[in-house]
Amino acid sequence: MSLTLSRRAFLATAAAALVVPFTVRGTAKVASQPTTLNAYLRIDADGAVTIISPVSEMGQGTHTAHAAIIADELGVDISRVRVTVPQQPAPEYRLFFGQMRSVGSFGVRKWIEPLRKSAAQARTVLTQAAATRWGEDAATLTVDDGAVLDPASGRRAAFAELVADAALLPLPEEPALRPAATRRYVGKAVPRIDTAAKIDGSAVYGIDVRLPDMLHGAVRLAPVFGAEVDSIDAASAPGAIAVAEVPGGAVVIAESWWKAKRLADGLAITWKPTPHDQVSSDDISRRLRAGLDADSAPAAVTRGDAAARLGAAARVVEADYEVPFLTHVSMEPITCAAQVSDSRCEVWMSTQGHDVVREALEAVTGLPAERIFINTTYLGGGFGRKTHGEIAQQAVLASRAVGGRPVKVVWSREDDVRQGQYRPAMAARLRAALDADGRLTAMHARLSGPMMGREYAHVTIRDNMDFFSHDVLRTQKYVASDFLLDHHEVPVPPSLCPWRAVSASQNGFFLEAFIDEVAHAARQDPLAFRKALLADHPSHVAVLESVERRSNWGTPLPGPNWGRGVAIVESYGSRCAQVAEVEMVDDRPVVRRVVLALDCGEAVNPGQVETQMVGSVIDALGPALRCQVTLRDGRAEQSNFDDYPILRIDEVPQIDVEIVDTGAPIGGVGEPGLPPTAPAVANAIFAATGRRRRQTPLGQA
Amino acid sequence: MATDFTVNGRAVSSGADADTPLLWVLRDELGLMGTKYGCGIAQCGACTVLADGAPVPSCSIPVSSVAGQRIQTIEGLSPDRGHPVQRAWAEIDVPQCGYCQSGQIMTAAALLAARPDPSDADIDAAMRGVLCRCGTYPRIRAAIRRAAELARAG
Ligand code: FES
Ligand code: FES
Repeated sequence: MSLTLSRRAFLATAAAALVVPFTVRGTAKVASQPTTLNAYLRIDADGAVTIISPVSEMGQGTHTAHAAIIADELGVDISRVRVTVPQQPAPEYRLFFGQMRSVGSFGVRKWIEPLRKSAAQARTVLTQAAATRWGEDAATLTVDDGAVLDPASGRRAAFAELVADAALLPLPEEPALRPAATRRYVGKAVPRIDTAAKIDGSAVYGIDVRLPDMLHGAVRLAPVFGAEVDSIDAASAPGAIAVAEVPGGAVVIAESWWKAKRLADGLAITWKPTPHDQVSSDDISRRLRAGLDADSAPAAVTRGDAAARLGAAARVVEADYEVPFLTHVSMEPITCAAQVSDSRCEVWMSTQGHDVVREALEAVTGLPAERIFINTTYLGGGFGRKTHGEIAQQAVLASRAVGGRPVKVVWSREDDVRQGQYRPAMAARLRAALDADGRLTAMHARLSGPMMGREYAHVTIRDNMDFFSHDVLRTQKYVASDFLLDHHEVPVPPSLCPWRAVSASQNGFFLEAFIDEVAHAARQDPLAFRKALLADHPSHVAVLESVERRSNWGTPLPGPNWGRGVAIVESYGSRCAQVAEVEMVDDRPVVRRVVLALDCGEAVNPGQVETQMVGSVIDALGPALRCQVTLRDGRAEQSNFDDYPILRIDEVPQIDVEIVDTGAPIGGVGEPGLPPTAPAVANAIFAATGRRRRQTPLGQA
Repeated sequence: MATDFTVNGRAVSSGADADTPLLWVLRDELGLMGTKYGCGIAQCGACTVLADGAPVPSCSIPVSSVAGQRIQTIEGLSPDRGHPVQRAWAEIDVPQCGYCQSGQIMTAAALLAARPDPSDADIDAAMRGVLCRCGTYPRIRAAIRRAAELARAG
């Protein structure tokens, strides 16, 4: 990556547009303008350091990690570091697939090196500027607390005094990094930099954006997935300032959201019929099950000859699994404010999908990318749902309908739950071959359901392999040879959207619930069985041994209705093992404790790694036990937290986290904690009852 | 007809329709954006404010019903994040996305005002109405216990 490439462009665009009013302190030496040093760093006139981060802050703590990385490498106190997100995606902010998005648990693992390098570049030119000013050799100078220091003479120059000179110097391609021993923040449980704003109500989320002259929009969208508008009678919304037709529905615009919402509810609008107006979840389930029975399906992974091995096996273990649609229910609903003219489009929103939004805005405005500006607020949760761009299009169409006045469109919770963009409903059939000694020799995993990668134009599904559908199974390590993964594709009416951990969430459930059954068939302890099969993978073994020890695996539980279950899933470059302790109360599983171990390589902020693990388990338990979206007459049956009941505080089990470091490369954190929970609970239910539950939610017998 | 009440000690007069939920008056009319919308049906607690000291879901009470009452929002809890609950929240570093936290903090403040030394069962009973999608619950529990200590210490 070249950090120098678009430096000038940044001076010209991003910096200028991003600058907030500031006061110049009265010294001639201080730069009067914020100075952008490279794509990721700006030093303001008051010496504050601003990181231009490619990642949105949605609760995962990435901004604090980025601040820690920069503060350490640059040599400033973390309290002097601010984090902002660029208004325009650019190559320096994009992931390997050419998109700027806050996804894939990449926030720290992908950006630690570029950010560290950018800070090292900045430190190098700041030091050089001081060296030139003082006529010293840069090698004799050090940095300390936002200043360059000459230890010999005691001279000191704040970065703010040096930055104007430093900005004229060429940035070194390969700047030297500071020794790890100088780090004050990375590797320590640093308090979040956004906590203060999040405990006094001052943090601004997308829903909080207020613009001069702004109007409010509420939506009325097709109840049947994908239905197109047939007719709208704007006269049925008396008092509305405008009714803007948008794909699949309308935005009703008024002076307040509450008024807009009531008018939208009363709007006379009809939709065209769709082929799936009568579709129910039972219909979809039947199609998924039929896909499991299909003679063959396109193969995504073929190693050896699984079919032959299964045909000749001493014993075949086979089980079918199924998971329903899930929705994200970010605490902050879907929202965007927009102001559009013939020459410029600006949006304010809590997005994690900057290039998706840019593409959506280009499509709806016809404007080129350089005339589109995306102001990113805090996200009140994202979980994948806020990668999409239809809300930005709705806000733009609304602004256009009122002559270019800014309009903030806010979806109600009901809109959020009913409008799809779900984790797909999927079914799987797993088959394993055991030899006469009970050794696992071959496996066939058949998936049946949608191929989610088709939602994205930029995703190439090569040789039927789709990361959005095949994670975890694709890379399973239980069977080295003779493995087949194939996928019978079943399109579904709702649109789909990555949900936390994407396909690792359901595939982790399928694989880890199944391996437990295989262990049982082989008459082996499920934890020992896994350890033996994964013996060549030290990180896997390490996390398994951590939960084995800390859960007192194999020791008696408090009662006969209790059970322990284990699962291990590698996803997003990290390994996570969990042991769940479940008590059956009236045939209903109550999760009492979850013991978790994670190996994510270097933990940049262990305190936030821990909260991500705890949060992931709590997140996973809702759908593991009871949350689902079901369809009837082509529409979602659920609508709000009363029928999509995520966990409440009194239901949270004891959760014990250990971060294990085996020297593995740095991995992701936001997602890997989620996939093992549901299978660990399913396996614990079996241990408690002797009966398998192979379908989530597991709370129903 | 206007509704008169106080918000964070300030007298206000809302001209919104009588059935407008208090939440939208606070947010869109008074510009107090710290109180959040999460469900609109008294299920999530994100919109919790104190009415004469008692926690209420502002999304589900019409503005007309608070006439003459003292409403307190997160913005009015303290001028400097100095309320014991806020101090404990900072010390334990509770928030993740933060969206639910105004509701959590206002509910916890009401709990501690009523029960300075709450049991685990008290905490569960008081806090179960406030959802946190990020799963900060264990830190919320710890922070409430810490806030009780801080409040006792003065
Ligand atoms: S928004 Fe009021 S309880 Fe959810
Ligand atoms: S901190 Fe995100 S919803 Fe509670």
